[in-house]
Amino acid sequence: MKRNPSLTLALLGALASLVLAAPALADEELNLFAWSEYIPQSVLDGFTKETDIQVNYETYASNEEMLAKLLSGAASYDLIQPSEYTIEALVKEKQLLPLDHKKLSNLKNIGKEYWNQPHDPKLAYSVPYMQGTVGIVVNTAKIKEPVTGYGDVFQPKYKGRIVVLDDALEIVTWALVANGLGQNDVTKTNLEKIRPTLAKWLPLVKVYDSDSPKTALLNGDVDLGVVWSGEAAILINEQPGKFSYTLPKEGAHMFIDNLAIPKGAENVDAAHQFINYILRPDVSMQISKEFPYTNPNVEARKLLTPAERANPASYPPGNPKLSTFRDIGPMAADVDKLFTDMKAKSGK
Amino acid sequence: MQLVRRLFATWTGFVFLFFYLPIAVLVLFSFNESRLNIVWTGFTFDWYAKLFEDRVLVKTLKNSLIVATFTTAISVMLGTIGAWLLYRYRYKASSFLETLVFMPMIVPEVILGVSLLILFVTLGIKLGYTTIVISHVTFCFPFVMAAVQARLSGLDPALEEAALDLGATPAQAFTKVLVPYLMPAIVSGALMSFTLSLDELIVTYFTASAGTRTLPLEIFGRVKKGLDPSLNAISTVFILVTVLAVFLTEGLRRRNA
Amino acid sequence: MRQEATGFSAAVAGSRRVPGRAGWLLLLPLVLWALAFVVAPAVIMLVYSFLERGTLAGVVWSFTLQNYAGVFDPVYLQIVIRSIIYAGITTAICLAAGYPVAYLIGRAEERWRNLLLMAVMVPFWTSFLIRTYAWVTILKSEGLLNSLLMQFQLISEPLQMLYTPGAVVIGLVYTFLPFMILPIYSSVEKLEGSLIEAALDLGAGPVRAFSRVIVPLTSPGIAAGVLLVFVPALGIYAVNDILGGGRVDMIGNIIENQFKGNARNWPFGAALGTTLLVGFSVIYWYVNRRQRALMV
Repeated sequence: MKRNPSLTLALLGALASLVLAAPALADEELNLFAWSEYIPQSVLDGFTKETDIQVNYETYASNEEMLAKLLSGAASYDLIQPSEYTIEALVKEKQLLPLDHKKLSNLKNIGKEYWNQPHDPKLAYSVPYMQGTVGIVVNTAKIKEPVTGYGDVFQPKYKGRIVVLDDALEIVTWALVANGLGQNDVTKTNLEKIRPTLAKWLPLVKVYDSDSPKTALLNGDVDLGVVWSGEAAILINEQPGKFSYTLPKEGAHMFIDNLAIPKGAENVDAAHQFINYILRPDVSMQISKEFPYTNPNVEARKLLTPAERANPASYPPGNPKLSTFRDIGPMAADVDKLFTDMKAKSGK
Repeated sequence: MQLVRRLFATWTGFVFLFFYLPIAVLVLFSFNESRLNIVWTGFTFDWYAKLFEDRVLVKTLKNSLIVATFTTAISVMLGTIGAWLLYRYRYKASSFLETLVFMPMIVPEVILGVSLLILFVTLGIKLGYTTIVISHVTFCFPFVMAAVQARLSGLDPALEEAALDLGATPAQAFTKVLVPYLMPAIVSGALMSFTLSLDELIVTYFTASAGTRTLPLEIFGRVKKGLDPSLNAISTVFILVTVLAVFLTEGLRRRNA
Repeated sequence: MRQEATGFSAAVAGSRRVPGRAGWLLLLPLVLWALAFVVAPAVIMLVYSFLERGTLAGVVWSFTLQNYAGVFDPVYLQIVIRSIIYAGITTAICLAAGYPVAYLIGRAEERWRNLLLMAVMVPFWTSFLIRTYAWVTILKSEGLLNSLLMQFQLISEPLQMLYTPGAVVIGLVYTFLPFMILPIYSSVEKLEGSLIEAALDLGAGPVRAFSRVIVPLTSPGIAAGVLLVFVPALGIYAVNDILGGGRVDMIGNIIENQFKGNARNWPFGAALGTTLLVGFSVIYWYVNRRQRALMV
């Protein structure tokens, strides 16, 4: 009655042999768990060439995805790349290994301003990888009036022409700041206070996109938006003169993506070597070329071209003092609920 | 009835146009000069050349094919046997078992992915090809089972009796009479299973490891940077190879028929 | 041995057959698989739905019902209703559009059938993301469709097609049409040509032949197709995200948010998923039993 048993066995055998013939372990390995498309392949290949350490690059698209896989214990990672507010939470939960600064000779290349951030004041657990801001990008070919703040963006005349990040926390902080409240003062009272603002803003939005907001801008489907600085920088590089980038006058924030070593790491030495390698100016410069965010490595900045240094999205003029997000703990659920509600009510 | 046939044929033509329009665009844009793949700027073969250098992309395509093949093979076995068993032995628990088996098709992929991940971790199974194939089979084989069941429900029992009367053993009756009868359903189920597995993203994310990334994972990872035309190129190459393979097998089949 | 073999006729005649030893041996792998990879994960999710949200991710082992309270909160209920509407419209369109195609392929000559089936499936062997972005290229303001329409002077201003509910429906129908066509094809393929001829001979016009004879005979295929489209359509999150500009959130997006977005609220995601699961298992089980009763 059974189907061909020899076929079954053959298939099972093949499967088993595939599983057993797992990639032969090279001399040493580094399990890197980082944002997708944030570390150029050339940088990884360069590292392997110099140190003989094989890099296994696994990726994620959000901090929360990373946390899900990391904390499940399914695999051991040697390096992760969390944003600053996630570092804060990880440190609180004692999920990170302290860094051995003696092994990080290139750490001095990191600019002074990054050494005193609330999430990791002495860089005891993390090293800044890239910094960025969230700001206003405008298609100056289509919009001639100045747009300098959230109030300017969310005007009825721009209805259906706006793109914003699809990020509950981001949008909520913009609303907080626009109402004169502190960007990290995420409390139930404040959330209710900004509800009318969101009710006013969200119906004007055409597209929500955190992955590639530049797409809608390039398509001409939208004419302005509030997006990541890196996205704006790419736009400015691709079509010079057509786009402008401004930090909102009501208040802007910055984000810092970092490298850190999680608790269960097996190759701690290799992890330190990699961090030190990334901190080298010539390597860091390569990263900047592909991802024109703000490079925290001041020595690397010196190696960029004048055009790259002048990109206002990568290096905002005036070097403004910006603050970062703090970990808001359980309020994240309330933020998500408010955003979901206002988003749903604002359209079909 | 001829009129109906004509009408249906015209409609099918439109549907195929609908199916292939984005594919045509996809193929066209694989020759697009602009890296950002959004506006057409010029014609070039560069992206196809780049494919040969992009070892990562090719490797993930290989992984996807391996996973999809194994998934389909196992799904076909489990699905066919399952459908047949449920058809033949109908006792109280069988509709319950059936509902159980179909559940993975209903569950949102994120939940399936996370819960399977937790399961594998608890059981100590290391992430890799095995876990990916298991996860894929879990939601693919119900498709085969559904297709085969639909076909079984129209089975004429006299068919099998006739075979046995003519001296066949039950095993022969199964393979020589039943399986050929079920072939269209098995084929359609296998097709769905292969397609689903090839394009699966979310569940795979949770159950794959660094060395066993599949093509959808790789492509999804590149969205931030911009889906450059080399991704279109690899898709085009894949379609070409598949179509060629199909024509070849059909040709061979007709030769032997 | 003959006794076992004629289980077919016995089964069709509706009598309950309990599996003998050989039967159980074959059934075992199926049962084990279901237990291991369906029941176990479902139980895990069920358990999680009663726990509290952890600080970083995951859960805190403390019992609570607040997640289920959240599920029925009007904020999320409005999204559930919207998802059902979109899934319903998609299923209806897929059925209307897909049935003729499935019928044609099912009644086609043997040598064309497999090729036609392949022709249906091949587009779906390209990456889903790239296909969907191809639709963006087609539907956007400066896209293919608008350019063509403007070229032939059918419109003077570009139509707003992208980032609308319409675009989402197009995307959904595009994604799910094969899953309607294939099961119906399977049913059509085993239709006896003589039945249809008989109906026509007895004076039924094509419309009647269809509605009274053909469609009912293919109802298992239709039922399978409807299930295979409606249910997964409820859990969809990527198509509507890309083609709807992130404005058309559905249940799938909400659940995804809990695990992969800011909310970091696994138990709530688990509760939403469990509710979905229970709801549809019940409906499926009920429909299944009615179908079986009708078949006997």
